[in-house]
Amino acid sequence: MVRIRKYGAAAVVALSITGCASGPGGSIYIPAATPPDYNRQTRPAEPSAPEPSSPTSQGGTVTYEPSPEPAPAPERSPSPRYQEQGEALSGAAASLVRKADSLLAQGNVPAAIGQLERAQRIAPRSAEVYFKLSEAYVSANNLPSAEQFALKGLSLAGSNAWMQRSGWLLLADIRRARGNVAGADQAEARAASL
Amino acid sequence: MANKSSSPKKSRKPSKKPTANGRKAWFWGLFGRLSLVGVVVLAGWLVYLDAVVTSRFEGRRFEVPSRVYARPLELYDGASISVGGLNRELELAGYRKGDGRQPGTYQQSANRFVISTRGFTFSDGAEPRRRLAFSVVGDRVSGFRVLSGERSPIVRLEPAQIGGIYPAHKEDRILIQRGDLPPFFEESLLAVEDRDFYEHFGIAPLSIARAMWANLQAGRVVQGGSTLTQQLVKNFYLTREQTLVRKGNEALMSLLLEWHYDKNDILETYLNEVYLGQAGVRSIHGFGLASQFYFGQSLGELDLHQVALLVGLVKGPSYYDPRRHPERALQRRNLVLSELAESGHIDETTALEFQARPLGVTSRPSFSENRYPAFVDLVRRHLARDYKEEDLRSEGLRIFTTLNPSIQYAAEFSVQRTLNRLDGNGERKLESAMVVTSRDSGEVVALVGGRDPRYAGFNRALDARRPIGSLIKPFVYLSALQQPEKYTLITPVEDRSFALVFDDGRRWEPKNYDEEERGEVPLHLALSRSYNLPTVRVGLDVGVDSVVDILHELGVADPISEYPSMLLGAVSLTPVTVAQAYQGLATSGFNTPLRTIRQVTDAQGEPLSRYNLAVEQVLDPAATHLVQYVMQETMQEGTGRSAYWRVSKDLSLAGKTGTTDDGRDSWFAGFSGDWLAVSWVGRDDNGPTSLSGATGALPVWSDFMASVPQHGFSPVVPDGVQYHWVNPQTAALSGKYCENARLVPFIAGSEPAATDSCAGGLGRRLRGWFEELF
Repeated sequence: MVRIRKYGAAAVVALSITGCASGPGGSIYIPAATPPDYNRQTRPAEPSAPEPSSPTSQGGTVTYEPSPEPAPAPERSPSPRYQEQGEALSGAAASLVRKADSLLAQGNVPAAIGQLERAQRIAPRSAEVYFKLSEAYVSANNLPSAEQFALKGLSLAGSNAWMQRSGWLLLADIRRARGNVAGADQAEARAASL
Repeated sequence: MANKSSSPKKSRKPSKKPTANGRKAWFWGLFGRLSLVGVVVLAGWLVYLDAVVTSRFEGRRFEVPSRVYARPLELYDGASISVGGLNRELELAGYRKGDGRQPGTYQQSANRFVISTRGFTFSDGAEPRRRLAFSVVGDRVSGFRVLSGERSPIVRLEPAQIGGIYPAHKEDRILIQRGDLPPFFEESLLAVEDRDFYEHFGIAPLSIARAMWANLQAGRVVQGGSTLTQQLVKNFYLTREQTLVRKGNEALMSLLLEWHYDKNDILETYLNEVYLGQAGVRSIHGFGLASQFYFGQSLGELDLHQVALLVGLVKGPSYYDPRRHPERALQRRNLVLSELAESGHIDETTALEFQARPLGVTSRPSFSENRYPAFVDLVRRHLARDYKEEDLRSEGLRIFTTLNPSIQYAAEFSVQRTLNRLDGNGERKLESAMVVTSRDSGEVVALVGGRDPRYAGFNRALDARRPIGSLIKPFVYLSALQQPEKYTLITPVEDRSFALVFDDGRRWEPKNYDEEERGEVPLHLALSRSYNLPTVRVGLDVGVDSVVDILHELGVADPISEYPSMLLGAVSLTPVTVAQAYQGLATSGFNTPLRTIRQVTDAQGEPLSRYNLAVEQVLDPAATHLVQYVMQETMQEGTGRSAYWRVSKDLSLAGKTGTTDDGRDSWFAGFSGDWLAVSWVGRDDNGPTSLSGATGALPVWSDFMASVPQHGFSPVVPDGVQYHWVNPQTAALSGKYCENARLVPFIAGSEPAATDSCAGGLGRRLRGWFEELF
């Protein structure tokens, strides 16, 4: 068994509400567009009434571009998007993480991993979910997987120093348990530098 | 059989003098001996029949097919779903529009839903029955509440069945026990089929006599005298032919069955064996499945009039088919209700009340076979790694897959709609395939094997191995960008023709798609515009083998030859393999094996195998981020920009086109924040088309992306990457409001040292200054 430093659920929750800084854009949720009306051919764009069958669709007008050559896009988005941090856990995902925690406490690791994977599916861009998966794999004594999930979490921690620190410390513990002393020291140094 | 040969031997002795007395004695002797022979033969036959009867009953009585389920729909505040998508999901999972109070029904008014779930036991926890209320606003769930049942901010619906793996005889059934029967079920069945079931010993001579009398009076067969035991024996052991011998066997075997087993055992087997309908080649056996098949409900939930209909069907599932012959079915059902009243189990008023009800049958079976043949094909291939076909066909396993019915629907629709349009009025020669995965988990959520998604033939998504063309380029540049001291996104690369001469004297002179040459271009432009010449130069510089290595690390198992032509995509891969390779690009360098199965459980829900999410960092995340940047640029300014004729400008996407010679293959691979999709368009005979990646596969891909509500792509900047304003033309640092300025990511330390003079920018800078001020 490996001793893993608890990075404190309370601290993580506090962190979650700080939101995430984004570069140009960040990840935006876009509803589906209304289906194109190909019979309309190349009429100029005009405001179309929303389809009665899909009252919630917010798609704008769509015109079909018939030219075989890609025509210049109507108006290009400013530039490629990126963000400085991953995303916070939603309430639903956080409740699944809590469920996983209690399953883990009961020693039911496979079920806990099942719940964490549910959480991962609905919050795939949250570093925390991957750190939790890493912890679950430590409990399952599957250290190679634990290390990979810690790395995955770190790839989403971005500029969140606290999340980075948690991840590097977790990684240091796992590496030490695997006998990778140099790797553990390196990870610890990264944590210390934050 | 040894006895048989000994009797004729004995018989020779007394037959010497044929006198009158002797004749009599001879007759009786013969009779006695023949009787003995008869008894012995009968005994032997009984022994044989007994073995037949017990062997089937002692072993596994039924081969139960494995059931394949879609992923369960998760409902919570913020869940991504459209109103139309939710309606389709509910229908697929066997929900009916109703009051939203009875389990398995839902109520909808515009975008408000109330759903009464049936509950389901997943192996990682049970979802009890609940009543849920929520709205769908902007393609998201909002105001999610649990009205009754255990509270939870997130609830899983029961997964929809999407397929089965059947025994050779195609019998389908859901095993039930007597405890699963709804009220009055047994009473109805016995009232109609076998009133003396608990009294007789397998056959009921009285019933036979009664039936014969009734038949004589009517002048035709109106009643059968068979007991349930006999019916079971007939279905279980015997052929359908109507001969005296068979009738005799049936009676003997019924007696034997009753002798060996108790009534409960026999009744339960009957309930699961009885034939109750047909769905294509699949035959519907047992009341458990029949209840799902006709009502979309589990047997225990049925009301009296539904019970009566199922019981009435025993007599002739085809003749009384409630979907094809509702009049006959109604008459038959009401007869059953009358019989039930006559036998005193219900009173007349109750019978009349239920007789007045409609049949209550769903218009079509909630689960139709072959809805997703291409996806189930991939599931079966994955299962074959760990399970024997024999077990899959008979052990009643439950296979929980990753199929997302809403995404599958959108993918099928986009393929069909776009190909019909690309065909114009011409021949339908074009074919297509599409793979959609969940970007961060590698779950395959949709698979289209051809333009007819119901056709279970050639599965192009898995078996069409085609050259991938320019889809290779991101991997070539990824290999280069892993050397930041040599390559950055603004490193000038040469777009000039050249010739390679091989040892055997062959020459290779690659060309650009437009056959132009542009001299020096920044690296990011070479990739986003998909120029061939700089790609080959860069690839040869970093080494073909390093590109091959990257593909292998990302999970491509196919052998790849290390010819320079592979740098332009002379590598044949299937769409699903391309999806596997792109998964690593989409997830910042983590190889995430594609999965179609989350879990397999036995018939009781005990887990047999889990297929967990696995990730492995195989690429440098920083270099991968740089490639992702260019793949976004491709969509905004490069070869993929026509996607935005269909897709909202606010949805950020990353992708790459691929085209092979004479338009034989048109590819597009790319991703949003949530989904990764690969589409291919071409001809089965590998003939030429007038399409390129941008005009064939991209329209399919962008139609799909536009039809699915989702998050845009916005990667987290990895450790060691910094964004700088640069002028790619001069490869120098610049300012936000300078001419040609571009915000570009660099691996720390590889950004240019020189600073541009920011030509002609005073006005812009001032404007920018004011913009930032307000």
